[in-house]
Amino acid sequence: MSEERETRIFMISPNSMTTPDQLVREIHAMGKGVTAKETCYGTLVEGPRALVREVLATVRGKHPYDIYSKVRAYPTGDPRRCRAQHGTRPGYSQLEAEWELLPLIQHGLICSDKGEPFEVPKEKDKLPAEEFKKICEAIR
Amino acid sequence: MKIFIDPPNSLILFDLVERFGHEPLGAMAPIQDRIDKIELDMPPMNVTLDDVVKGLKYAGIEVPSGIRGRLALWGPLIDIADAAITMSEPPFNFGCVGCERSNEMVRYLIRRRGIPHLIIGYPEDGDEAKAVVGQIKEFLEGLK
Amino acid sequence: MIKIAQLSCGSEYSSVQSEIEKAAQSVGAKVVYPDVSYADVNDAVKRFGFRPRSPQLQLMIARAVQLADEKYDADAVFITTCFRCAEAALVRNELRRFIQENTRLPVVTYSFTERLKAAQLLTRMEALVTIVTRKDVLARERQTGLTAGIDSGSSTTKALIMENNKIIGKDWTTSGDVVQSATSVLENAMKEAGVELKQIEAIGVTGYGRFTLGRHFNAKLVQEELTVNSKGAVWLADRQRGEATILDIGGMDNKAITVRDGVPDNFTMGGICAGASGRFLEMTSKRLKIEIEDLGRLADKGNWRNAKMNSYCSVFGIQDLVTSLGEGKHFEDVAAAACHSVAEQVYEQQLQEIDVRHPIIQVGGTSLISGLVTAVGEVLGERPIVPPHSQYIGALGGALLSSGFL
Repeated sequence: MSEERETRIFMISPNSMTTPDQLVREIHAMGKGVTAKETCYGTLVEGPRALVREVLATVRGKHPYDIYSKVRAYPTGDPRRCRAQHGTRPGYSQLEAEWELLPLIQHGLICSDKGEPFEVPKEKDKLPAEEFKKICEAIR
Repeated sequence: MKIFIDPPNSLILFDLVERFGHEPLGAMAPIQDRIDKIELDMPPMNVTLDDVVKGLKYAGIEVPSGIRGRLALWGPLIDIADAAITMSEPPFNFGCVGCERSNEMVRYLIRRRGIPHLIIGYPEDGDEAKAVVGQIKEFLEGLK
Repeated sequence: MIKIAQLSCGSEYSSVQSEIEKAAQSVGAKVVYPDVSYADVNDAVKRFGFRPRSPQLQLMIARAVQLADEKYDADAVFITTCFRCAEAALVRNELRRFIQENTRLPVVTYSFTERLKAAQLLTRMEALVTIVTRKDVLARERQTGLTAGIDSGSSTTKALIMENNKIIGKDWTTSGDVVQSATSVLENAMKEAGVELKQIEAIGVTGYGRFTLGRHFNAKLVQEELTVNSKGAVWLADRQRGEATILDIGGMDNKAITVRDGVPDNFTMGGICAGASGRFLEMTSKRLKIEIEDLGRLADKGNWRNAKMNSYCSVFGIQDLVTSLGEGKHFEDVAAAACHSVAEQVYEQQLQEIDVRHPIIQVGGTSLISGLVTAVGEVLGERPIVPPHSQYIGALGGALLSSGFL
């Protein structure tokens, strides 16, 4: 495909009721002429950039909190990154880890949209040596 | 605006930056540039010797090749970014961001450019996640 | 298809991953990555007990654990990381040890720069494949029939004829044209043995020129020098059973190989720098205007402590030598210092990548330089065994193993 090719990962949050199969059917039903391939975490969508962005906007509109997306460098099924060729690639563990974090991000987004205030967590300081010394001495 | 995301392959940061109306600069674009060039045959990523040599712009010859190769990919993005967001100490830095020395250097390069830079912690619970999303939104809105 | 499990960091960003895969493919193998999940990584790192800062190194650990637990099926292991990365060097070596302790898979480690080309890895990959696919050939401990072996090395070419497990003819010469050098030594060896080419039942070839010679002589065995030399070394030293370390300081690269029953399970070959090879001793003797054969005896009479020579690089090493001579140092001391410097560098660069097993068998042309053997003994705290005809290991290994095809 030309430079216009865009491949996107759509990842469904683990606590979503939407299944990869439903998402694929939804995307096909949009009739944009993009390809959508079901994966274990959601779907891979590929097509001309403008069309893929339209799909993205529709998916975001419909699933504002439980589907997340980023572009993928490799085309769908590229043998250079295909699991069947070599085994899992390093980026796979990363996706798995981010997938586990999605429910928290979902919570954050919902709160943010409601305009709820948030508190930036304070960095924990190390116990000053003097205080630690006192504790040690008290125990001794 | 162009927002460099660190880790550059993070799905969450990419999504949030895009969702809040900005262009995320991440690992995927420079890799796509390379893999789409059929005249190059250096699978899987088509990172070439030329790239690794170009990495010398960011780190000297005594620095391992893997670091220079990575910096050759992300460095030019940092050079053109208007702002950056770092999620510090994520437990999931694999793949593109597997080398911690490269990651340190990426953060330093952002700092050296002096662009607006939001550093957020990795959220451990709902309140922290609220703060992460809230800070990102505030930061990005403030750039407009 | 032989599956070589790759445990690595940095290869894809150093423009060398495709070279690694090319090298594997050219010897009929395929590079694979053991499957791991995100949860596996944390568990594996905890179990291994070393938590590197770089996550890719953590992933390497998880992949090694998959192999150790036999959850992933591979035939050999290739551990490779960026040259000059300290964190990776620690993990690389400890994982190599872990694999050796927990599996029976042959393993090789390598640190690459962006200049790595497939050809540099070919011998290592070929050795991994040989160890897996030619178990029967490598198990051979006695030579049978009438066979010849030719070792086409970077500095010298050697030929050796065996009959019924005895050496009956041999010759060596400095390497020139690959085929001409080999033909000449083979003819002289046959003359000594009193046999003709048509009587020879099988030929085995090894060394840099093996592919050319294999075609020219229609050899039954064309095999890399790591496995062939190991077999030759344990035969000559009469250590076919049990463990040993074989040390071959060659003309262009050095080999340190650990063997179990004569079959390598781990090896290193000089990688990025050839500073500590036999070539340096050749340069030294030229500068001293003596024959290389006399360098060892001269060194034995000297004391290396009297002449400073401890550069990593052969160019700077020669500078040290020139300085020492300029200062009026004795030739004996300078020769001893040159030998000591090579031994020290072999210890620092090669032997740190393997776990030395005893006895140490020193072989190859440089094992005839007695001063070098003395220096190796001093550095290692144990004098190596130098078997008779130690320069003929490759040729002998070729004759021995090719008899397996009769």
